[in-house]
Amino acid sequence: MRQRFRSSLLALAAAALLLGQGGNPLENARVRLLGEQLACLCGCGSSITSCNMLHCHFAEPARQKLLGMVNAGMSDSDILAAFVKEYGQRVLLKPPSEGFNLLGWLMPFIAIAAGLALVWWLIQRFRRPLAPAAGAPAGGPEPDPALLAQMDKDLEDLDS
Amino acid sequence: MENLGALAILLAFCLAVFAVIASVAGGWKRNAFLIVSARRAVYSIWLLVTVASGVLVSSLLASDFRFAYVAAHSNRAMPALYKFAAWWGGQEGSLLLWSWLLACYAAVVVFTNRRKHGGMMPYVTATLMLTQCFFLILNAFVASPFRMLALSRSITAVSDGQGLNPLLQYPAMAIHPPMLYLGYVGFAVPFAFAIGSLITRQPGDDWIHTTRRWSLVTWLFQSAGIVLGAAWAYAVLGWGGYWNWDPVENASFLPWITATAFLHSVMMQEKKGMMKVWNMVLVSGTFFLCIFGTFLTRSGIVSSVHAFAQSSIGQWFVGFLAITIAGTVYLILSRLDYLKTEARLESVLSRESSFMFNNLILLAAAFAILWGTLFPVISEAVTGEKITVGAPFFNRVNVPIGLFLLFLTGVGPLFAWRRTSLESLRRNFLWPALAAVALTIGLFAAGMRHPYALMSFGLCLFVTWTVLAEFYKGARAIGAKSGRNLALAAVELTRRNTRRYGGYIVHLAIVLMFVGFTGSAFNKDTTIEVKVGDRFALGHYEMKVADLREGDNDNYTWDRARIEVWKDGSALGAMAPERRFFKASRQGTSEVAIRRRLNEDLYLNFAGMSDDNQRAVIQAFVFPLVSWIWTGFWMLVLGTLICLVPSKARFQYARLPAVRVVQKNAATIQK
Repeated sequence: MRQRFRSSLLALAAAALLLGQGGNPLENARVRLLGEQLACLCGCGSSITSCNMLHCHFAEPARQKLLGMVNAGMSDSDILAAFVKEYGQRVLLKPPSEGFNLLGWLMPFIAIAAGLALVWWLIQRFRRPLAPAAGAPAGGPEPDPALLAQMDKDLEDLDS
Repeated sequence: MENLGALAILLAFCLAVFAVIASVAGGWKRNAFLIVSARRAVYSIWLLVTVASGVLVSSLLASDFRFAYVAAHSNRAMPALYKFAAWWGGQEGSLLLWSWLLACYAAVVVFTNRRKHGGMMPYVTATLMLTQCFFLILNAFVASPFRMLALSRSITAVSDGQGLNPLLQYPAMAIHPPMLYLGYVGFAVPFAFAIGSLITRQPGDDWIHTTRRWSLVTWLFQSAGIVLGAAWAYAVLGWGGYWNWDPVENASFLPWITATAFLHSVMMQEKKGMMKVWNMVLVSGTFFLCIFGTFLTRSGIVSSVHAFAQSSIGQWFVGFLAITIAGTVYLILSRLDYLKTEARLESVLSRESSFMFNNLILLAAAFAILWGTLFPVISEAVTGEKITVGAPFFNRVNVPIGLFLLFLTGVGPLFAWRRTSLESLRRNFLWPALAAVALTIGLFAAGMRHPYALMSFGLCLFVTWTVLAEFYKGARAIGAKSGRNLALAAVELTRRNTRRYGGYIVHLAIVLMFVGFTGSAFNKDTTIEVKVGDRFALGHYEMKVADLREGDNDNYTWDRARIEVWKDGSALGAMAPERRFFKASRQGTSEVAIRRRLNEDLYLNFAGMSDDNQRAVIQAFVFPLVSWIWTGFWMLVLGTLICLVPSKARFQYARLPAVRVVQKNAATIQK
């Protein structure tokens, strides 16, 4: 079943390629949008839409192919699947969020969560009073509350 | 002459080895003779690397094609500016620029601190010279820019060179790499001070003041390098993007983020004696990321449009990074007792905790970018399949992080040191928050539906309001006392505390940049094949192709379109996008035509000729608010420069009676 689906997708893609001949594919808005999701594999690091290499050996045929598929009425997901089938996962500018690649998507947020936990732990730790150093004087007389209030105000006004 | 450059580099290398040994031995044995000798070696290294760079630059300017580097990166038809810029146009030359900048920094650091930081300076010099040794090894033995072209045993020359990559033949590009390198290399200085302070268990925070100023200067260079790169991409690549999350762009951004985190968290150390270990980690991490970025650009482990030719040079960087990271980790771990925090956190609602969250989010952004950059390598190692992690991934992950950071930019400064009362928070936040919500609702009612754009504009207003309110409160108080008008009082306020108010100006600059980034949610574009007389429209603009021409000169051939533009019926004049094809390198480039305005840019790209060569392919874009990014950059420069000016506040504050009491009762306050 999967095989049949794949071969029909390929046939559709081939038909699409024929339909796509002529005209500048980037004139088509859907081609531009889909092209933004596909990596140009010429080494430029851009998308198929934005590759600016003169007569790029990858982007130009890929745009024609895209236009053909768009004209053939293929859906966005079918078009992307056809490209993945032909060039592998690396043609997608963002990896699909499944399998090992899911880790790629989640890791930054796992790191933030771990970081939040760490900051919380640090805040708790910093709030505990300092252990007095050996031989240090055990504090002076109680400070005047009015003086402390004045200092708080000064710090608030003049901190940097 | 042809051997002079190579000889100078070799001598510089020998002297750098001497400087490391003499500094360490001099510092250890407290031998003034060795310390002074090492210092003079630093000056001599600067002279020698300057001579070597002079040889390379003069060969480039004189088109001496006996040098392999000159033949590969220059040609006779190139204008002199780009012949000069070819110094950093290739692997070997740019590594020599690294060395030269490091030699300059080292000479300045050693000279300006010759009577300061006594016991620690020899180790600072040794750290700088160790880094210098590494780069001189690369210059002398691994990627020498002075290799000659030879046929059997006789030196030969080619008649003309291959020319500089035409994409680099653009003014912003000519200065973007040196700016970025000034930032990259500059972070060797704070790192060297950190290592020096660790080795000598430096008491007090004198060294951290010096380090902070250097960090600020190098941070400014990094910012300038990054923004110039973005401005170059915008004006040259033909699709109007200024940031593509390319691995090498990311590599330049990472140390900037960690340096930003350091510039914030260092205040905790200066004011409260807290987060000392963390600051060491940030200073060292930033330096390692600078080296790592250079490694990424040159090793070919990730594919990038910016990367130099693949070579075995990466192993050297891995070796250097491994040694320096191991050394730094050992030093930090062995000196944890000296890095103990001196103060306590009194409240969760305080400036101290807001700095911790700011650092967390900045580091999270750095991690997300590093992770995305390296994930293709990790994924291929695990699954065996190549994948691409491009702009859509980075945007999705980093936009929410960026917005949260923007929120913290507004919130952080409103927290007072030690503790903030809920009442003061309410007083400070109520109006800005209400205004932000009102703007968001207003924009939604006006038809804006992009969720991130709505949030971003709301937050931009929130931060602007809170920052301006800080200026207003301070200026009003000064104005009331001195009778100055509000503008003059705001200037006086800034002069009294340059770091605080300069910092606020940088925050406003970041807001302007965010407004510019947000504008990209509303970009419009069209691509069309046209001949003379054809008309087309985009948004409010209507365009007519008035003329199509072609021509050529020694360096390139060109096709140019003259396009007349109207906006809502009124004529705006003509724009002339051009396509160039460089003869030596056989590469094409775009000379886009941009009509820059604060509200939006109209951007026309001559993408090429149609297959039948009869019609021009024109891409037209409307980029709303993009100019705010460049305006924000100039404001960032202004704010940073203000931060570097010494404040008047310290002296004024020291005269207040309360402070004298504070000084007397330091022990009580600590408690």
